[in-house]
Amino acid sequence: MATIRYAEALNLALREEMARDDTVFVFGEDVATYGGVFKVTQGLRDAYGDRVRDTPISEQTLTAMAVTAAMTGTRPVLEIMYADFLPLSLDALVNQASIYHYIWNEQVTMPFVLRTQGGGGVGTGAQHAKSLDAMVAHIPGLKVVAPVTPADARALLKAAIRDPHPVIFLEHKLLYNLRGEVDEADEAPAEIGRARVARAGRDVTILATSRMVLEAQKAAEELAGEGVSAEVIDLRSLRPLDLDAITASVARTNHAVVVNEGWRFCGYTAELAATIMDHAFDDLDAPVERVAARDMPIPYAETLEREVIPDSADIAAAARRALA
Amino acid sequence: MATPITIGAAGGEYMEAVVVTKWHVRRGARVCAGDLLAEVETAKAVTEVESPCDGVLGEICAGEGDEIAVDAPLGFLLADGEDDVAAEVDAPGSTPGPPPAARPAPAADPGARGGGQPGRVVASPLARRRAGKAGLDLRHLAGSGPGGRIKRRDVEAALARGPTGEGGALPLMVLHGFAADATIWSALAAELGRGRRLIRPDLLGHGAAAPAGGGFEDVLAPVLKALDAVEAPRVHLVGHSLGGAVALALAGRRPARVASLTLIAPAGLGAEIDGATIDGICRATRPESLLPWLRRLVSDPQRIGDDYARAAMAGRGEAVRGAQAALADRLFPDGTQAVDLRSALADCALPLRLIWGRDDAILPWRQALAAPGHAALNLLPGVGHMPHVEAPELVARLLRETLAAAEAMGEATLEAEAAQWLTG
Amino acid sequence: MLEMHRRMVLTRHLEERLGEMHKAGRTRGPIHRCDGQEAVGVGATAAMAHDDFVTTTHRGHAVYLGRGLDPRRVVAEIFGRETGYCGGRGGHMLVGDAQTGMMGGNAIVGASIPAATGMALSMQLRGEARVALAVFGDGAAQTGICHESMNIAALWRLPVVFLLEHNAYGLTVHHSAQSSVPDLSVRAAGYGMPGETIDGNDVVAVYGAVAAALQRARRGEGPSLIEARTYRVEGFSTSDMGGYQPDAEIAEWRARDPILLARAALADRLGAAHVERCETEARAEIDAAFDAALADPMPAFAPHTPSAPHAGRAYGVR
Repeated sequence: MATIRYAEALNLALREEMARDDTVFVFGEDVATYGGVFKVTQGLRDAYGDRVRDTPISEQTLTAMAVTAAMTGTRPVLEIMYADFLPLSLDALVNQASIYHYIWNEQVTMPFVLRTQGGGGVGTGAQHAKSLDAMVAHIPGLKVVAPVTPADARALLKAAIRDPHPVIFLEHKLLYNLRGEVDEADEAPAEIGRARVARAGRDVTILATSRMVLEAQKAAEELAGEGVSAEVIDLRSLRPLDLDAITASVARTNHAVVVNEGWRFCGYTAELAATIMDHAFDDLDAPVERVAARDMPIPYAETLEREVIPDSADIAAAARRALA
Repeated sequence: MATPITIGAAGGEYMEAVVVTKWHVRRGARVCAGDLLAEVETAKAVTEVESPCDGVLGEICAGEGDEIAVDAPLGFLLADGEDDVAAEVDAPGSTPGPPPAARPAPAADPGARGGGQPGRVVASPLARRRAGKAGLDLRHLAGSGPGGRIKRRDVEAALARGPTGEGGALPLMVLHGFAADATIWSALAAELGRGRRLIRPDLLGHGAAAPAGGGFEDVLAPVLKALDAVEAPRVHLVGHSLGGAVALALAGRRPARVASLTLIAPAGLGAEIDGATIDGICRATRPESLLPWLRRLVSDPQRIGDDYARAAMAGRGEAVRGAQAALADRLFPDGTQAVDLRSALADCALPLRLIWGRDDAILPWRQALAAPGHAALNLLPGVGHMPHVEAPELVARLLRETLAAAEAMGEATLEAEAAQWLTG
Repeated sequence: MLEMHRRMVLTRHLEERLGEMHKAGRTRGPIHRCDGQEAVGVGATAAMAHDDFVTTTHRGHAVYLGRGLDPRRVVAEIFGRETGYCGGRGGHMLVGDAQTGMMGGNAIVGASIPAATGMALSMQLRGEARVALAVFGDGAAQTGICHESMNIAALWRLPVVFLLEHNAYGLTVHHSAQSSVPDLSVRAAGYGMPGETIDGNDVVAVYGAVAAALQRARRGEGPSLIEARTYRVEGFSTSDMGGYQPDAEIAEWRARDPILLARAALADRLGAAHVERCETEARAEIDAAFDAALADPMPAFAPHTPSAPHAGRAYGVR
């Protein structure tokens, strides 16, 4: 066991997979010489040469190229520097990547990974702080994962690279320095589509994604002081969703709070709330409470930004409402 | 306490749902343990469902042709004299309440997040499921959640309290009028039932009560017995028409057991009555001949349509008609009221309210003027002989005021007595 | 050349039969015919090695048949039959056949350009001497991804050939209203790659230019841009109301029909009767393909498991 940072865990996964399979390659803006603006790909260029490429600023084409490269025998890992740039990739995701396995009657697979990072909290402004999870999770044919621990970051990235279908790999700019234990000897990939109980509890289920899992854990700690036992579930995979984990927890606690850093309206929390209603309605003792970003652009100033991005206090308040 | 009727093992090992093919008893019928209640169809065969205990068939949850999960109740059995489940207007064998078109428009309940129609219970899905399994009617519960939502904890607290409703509001006993039955209270029960137990007996010769001859004392006796059997310290009494006369007589016999008395167009306050209508209803053997007489009961005849008359006629078999004709002959001979309770009314010291429609064609509202000075008197414009059907929201509001005032007064009296005892 | 001519005739007869079927109300959705443009798709694919890749547009029938796809399975796909190349899931714009490297019609204008570029990157990384050919139109040449792709391809010397099938119209808008320069091949200079404009109705010229560009790419010398000038004589699609293409312009191009040109050249060498027989056989092959495909069964619906939103479940909610 070693305690390493989230960014190092991703780097480790990339090294392991590139060593294991020489069709894996990494490309994106600033990923080679500089090692990535978040240092996730540091040192890979030295180790793997031309399989790690700096690219022009051409997200739309790079994403489309990843799609067809994956169809023709390689396993591209494309880094899109900010999730806010995903709209540039969207045509390649919606009209290309997501369709061919089905539309071509399963003649081709598409093992590519699009890594990106989103989220706010550090004053990056309206074009570099969004969480567009719902936008990509909406698309049939894509998988979307969002690990929060270094161990999951490594194991899920390995799983994503080995997956025969396109995987959108969502990171968070505030997670890269998070430290956690990683068993370096265990090189097994994770199973995509499995949630994790981050904290067991009995009174209310808090479903959270990405950095919001950490906020949910803080909220659970605060609620414990009030005698409320909250269960925090780290979804890890936004699509496909671990329905069994969700329904099992809600069946025990009968109360649910759903948390995602993206916008509320038509957002990922709306899907979670609807999913619970579809599959666990009769287990609910209160309406599902949603915690999400306010429906407005993400402002720059700290006093403004913290009003828009949800935090542990919002989650604890939602849990209290659910239990009222 | 209502006992759920379930399919149990009849469903078979691999069955999730069955289809109800036939009900052998009607709502309101008295049954014994082991009696055949219904038949259900499983994948294997038609299976008979027997009564799990003695009682009266109450609410039917799955009608003929309905598919129902094996673990869901088919219906509920009620203990004798108890009616804590509001009847469905279309339940077999019951006289329907007002036709849907005559129902009051839904009014918003500002506090409730459910924001529903009057009578709609706002409860969490889990509370509904728990209550359904236990056979508990949520209309009798007050919710402690936001906006009055009933949550699991409310259901569990109610189940822990048991059937007597200890610690809750005082029960409400409602007595229907001549030729009606307990189901006439459906609209009001939905308004008043929440958080309060309702006792709705059928009068002798009416509804589920066995048809039998007899006079006013014979009608009074079983109700008196039912009142004595109530475990709560006191009961609010409400009676309509003949039921009003019965309620007034009960209050005279058991004043200490009655918390308040509300009389809706009561009989017994004068000689005058529309004997033609009484005769007409008793004589009618077909919806066509019943319809004009039913229309005389209300201010706006359009409220009563052919469907309503047909449904009402369906519950008026020959035995019921015979029993009621005999009863009418004793109570209202020659188009005259033979029972005179004016002195009982004058002597009544209980919290008292009279509600009468100004367009009442059966009993003239001027008979209300026999009430003592402390009584509240409400004369409703545009309403006939059936205020609780024609204006259920207003009647419910008046009742709530009476009930609340009487209960507040009751507590004040108890406190005063306790203070006197302590100082004395 | 006779084989290229045969494939052009196959394509033309396919388009004509589809036109009849559309008039009879027997087609589903719009059909984008390539009448008059056959030399581009057929000449270019004839120059490809067996394991090269080609991507094309929503008007790709000449590429499908030029690449040697079975006419019966192409027709079956156009008519949504189970026996179609994509089991009826794709339709006429999205036919793909991984076996022959015919990596798809693509109905997002311009998308065939980065698609081929990505395949070329894959080949370069794998060290394989295979080339990807992007067929796209003058409308697609105005997209951002065209610029991005050409820049990346030239920057990385990717084994890709950009074949611009210039048919003069982007839907209803003439190229003079879409492009700042009349000859699009001049743009190649901006990326430091060779560019030329050729007669897109001369199947031999198309073959020659594409073959040279493919060889260059295969040698690792990077991409080329070939602008093949041709003309769309039958409108944008079967739903096109027309009225924007001048009659004189259409007549001028019909006189230069690529099949007429090829027929004349072949008749000189092989005799008119021989060419005529070859054409008759080609038409009969298409007719037989229609007969067989139209008798084929419609596909049965099955959900797509990898699209399922819930883990471990076949598909959707409930």
